[in-house]
Amino acid sequence: MASHDFITPAKMARGLGSAKTGTETHIRQRVSAIALIFLVPWFVYSIIHAMGGDLAEAQAWAAKPWNAILLILTAGAAFFHMRIGMQVIIEDYIAKSGTKSALLILNSFACIALFVTVALSVLKIWIGAGA
Amino acid sequence: MVQLTLPKGSAPKKGKTWPKPQGATNLRQFKIYRYSPEEGGNPRWDTYWVDMDRAGTMILDVLFYIKNNVDPTLAFRRSCREGVCGSCAMNIAGQNTIACTKGFDELPGGVITIAPLPSQPVVKDLIPDLTSFYAQHAYVQPYLKTVTPDPEKEWKQSEEDREELNGLYECILCASCTTSCPSYWWNGDKYLGPAALLQAYRWLIDSRDEATGERLDDLEDPFKLYRCHTIMNCAQVCPKGLNPAKAIAKIKHMMVERVS
Repeated sequence: MASHDFITPAKMARGLGSAKTGTETHIRQRVSAIALIFLVPWFVYSIIHAMGGDLAEAQAWAAKPWNAILLILTAGAAFFHMRIGMQVIIEDYIAKSGTKSALLILNSFACIALFVTVALSVLKIWIGAGA
Repeated sequence: MVQLTLPKGSAPKKGKTWPKPQGATNLRQFKIYRYSPEEGGNPRWDTYWVDMDRAGTMILDVLFYIKNNVDPTLAFRRSCREGVCGSCAMNIAGQNTIACTKGFDELPGGVITIAPLPSQPVVKDLIPDLTSFYAQHAYVQPYLKTVTPDPEKEWKQSEEDREELNGLYECILCASCTTSCPSYWWNGDKYLGPAALLQAYRWLIDSRDEATGERLDDLEDPFKLYRCHTIMNCAQVCPKGLNPAKAIAKIKHMMVERVS
């Protein structure tokens, strides 16, 4: 006999109850998506444009204040959005509690680390060019 | 919980091929999912040849043809045979729908497969166990809830407010939508699914209901509501032409409205 044989359907449907959360994440995902609608086309256009020149030209382009600001904003919105998206995928497909928690933590660490790396790289070029 | 392979003993195997009817000129081949817990063993695909000139016009007629003329042991659920009760929901040619309103003219070419609704335990042949589905429907408390004492006659509603319920109240709870949803396949123990959420919205939007806040409280959850990723299978398969994904989007909109 299975161990769950006497659990009522209502008990299962109610589960642990409503977490009374999720709306903030829903809003954040949409708002970051709206930001990316504007930032990603700009980023792709800029990268294609920069491919024609050499490294020094690319660095000079990234050192321009507006370009540096937009680059950091693009990375921020993208990794913020990616963290939420990856979280949803992990929650969808990984049911095992321990593995799920570990992957969710790893996801947060990876997204934050990627953002910090990109942001500091851009700042280094920007500040370095002014020095 | 994602299961990329079927549980042990669940993969259907090749079954029996039943004899062709004598003297028929308009034959069509059907592969039907057969499973009987009493008999044990894996489910199987049985092959039937149906004389389409004698079978009627709908897939439910095909099932009756087989049961009456070929194989009386075939089990399927049906009641109203006119798209009102939702009992005969099953997977026909790869798409969930109700057998009684699925016409021959809508079928694709080649062999037609008929299987029970996906992702639910099978009671026998084409009959799924919808216990969890009904419990999740009960979770959304699909009835009028008020704090104002009952009026002497009835709760009144303007014609405009009544129109808000169109496209929602018609749901017959056949479970075609819920069992077509991949999110429900993976997390059906926590995600309420399109049918229950459509009904939840039907009561959220009802101008007479006074429990809107409590209803939203019960739904606000990363799994119960927000597991809907707008895949739209639900709207694609609904035999009544309803759009549960739109109703779920409107619930999310209500959630946003109350925090901003």
